[in-house]
Amino acid sequence: MHITPDTLIIFQWGSVSLNGTIFFTWCIMVLMVVGSWLITRKLSTETHLSKWQNLIEVLVTGIRDEIRDISSQDPGRYLSFVGTLFLFIAVSNLLGIVPGYVPPTGSFSTTAALAICVFVAIPFYGISQKGLSYLKQYIEPSMFMLPFNIIGEISRTFALAVRLFGNIMSGTIIAAILLSIAPLIFPVLMQILGLLIGLIQAYIFAILAMVYIAAATRVQRMKKETGRQNEKGELSDG
Amino acid sequence: MLIDWFTVIAQIINFLVLVYLLKRFLYGPIIRAMDEREKKIALSLERARKKKDEADLEAKDYRRKNREFDEHREEMFSQIKEEVEVRRTNLINKARDQVDADRTKWYEAIQREKEAFLQDLRHRAGKHTCVISRQVLKEMANVDLENQILHVFIEKLRSLNDDELKTLKESIRQSPQKISVRSAFVVPEKMTGEIIEVLQNQAASHVDVRFEISPDLICGIELKFSGHRISWNVADYLETLEESLLAALENKAEKNTEKEDGRG
Repeated sequence: MHITPDTLIIFQWGSVSLNGTIFFTWCIMVLMVVGSWLITRKLSTETHLSKWQNLIEVLVTGIRDEIRDISSQDPGRYLSFVGTLFLFIAVSNLLGIVPGYVPPTGSFSTTAALAICVFVAIPFYGISQKGLSYLKQYIEPSMFMLPFNIIGEISRTFALAVRLFGNIMSGTIIAAILLSIAPLIFPVLMQILGLLIGLIQAYIFAILAMVYIAAATRVQRMKKETGRQNEKGELSDG
Repeated sequence: MLIDWFTVIAQIINFLVLVYLLKRFLYGPIIRAMDEREKKIALSLERARKKKDEADLEAKDYRRKNREFDEHREEMFSQIKEEVEVRRTNLINKARDQVDADRTKWYEAIQREKEAFLQDLRHRAGKHTCVISRQVLKEMANVDLENQILHVFIEKLRSLNDDELKTLKESIRQSPQKISVRSAFVVPEKMTGEIIEVLQNQAASHVDVRFEISPDLICGIELKFSGHRISWNVADYLETLEESLLAALENKAEKNTEKEDGRG
């Protein structure tokens, strides 16, 4: 039994090996991209929609609304990143009911990769909005806070990765253990619970990522507003 | 070791590729389609709003026209009423004139018939009177009526008054040829001699008398001289009869007309 699909070797070619994590990720990618292409190649702009287009529209609209609610900003620039995080994790987890499939999110390498992406995306969005002055927030309120701020950033990223990995990996292992103890009925219930947990984790991961990004851009916005107020104060004083 | 750095890097690349592909194949087209649909819906709503505005305007216009029509209708009605009234009055006047003309014509026709009837009556009465008189005289006196008429005429000539005698003498002296005796029948020779003799006695001079036949006189005889006339004939009596008959008929006609007027 494999705790992580990293150890599952699908293909070995000399010193290069293709492990389960990458293989199943590719499978998910192909599934999602081909599915998207099939649905979006015949999009209707009329009031009558196909079922698949309707489903996708509901999904995309839901993600956009969620992003807008959290960030109070236009969701356009965050949609691709946060939406893909959610969809990738959700599809990866939901496919867990397919026999022989091992979710790549049950690999710490995958969750770490996703967390690193979020870790990079936070300053990326911050800097793209304000420029390098974004980095000043790491030395707020004083220079002494710099290490703590950096530790905070890293720890929450680490928590993000571990949370997802722990939940999915534990779900898989619990299902495997229960199969050996009580092979009837009960594993099915656990599988259903696993699907629910998988979806919830996808939601939590995406929402947290969005909250972090929103916090970064919101700080900047608050600063701007404070700056404006200061300017006004100076003018009135003058 | 739970973490494989090669896999981590591969997964980062995979994720970034997936972000790009989904943006290219999913989010982009879907959002474009939704935006386009929104635009279309907004456009159709805008069109609907415009059409509604147009419809409102049309309805307003229609109501205004209706109101104007209602107002004009009253005007038109009163105008038509006036025209009808004028036309009615004209027609009534025309009908009245027509009736008057017809009545006048009718009266004239009646009048003509009345006259014709009276004329006819007069002739018939005259003739019948002559016939009856002749018959009566024949039966009663056993003499010819014409003889009797001539006797009466001769008696009249004998009993002329002074004025008539004077006029007769004057007339004979001025134009002895102008004495003429007209009669409805042929006067016997014996009687013509007697008449000439009586006349010469009365006028105390020679008189040239011309005898003429005139059926108008209806069983009678007359002597005419310079505007004077001595006669005996049934026509005179008949004229009197005619006058009285006419008077009687006109009286009756007037009474009838008065009665009709009273009813009207």
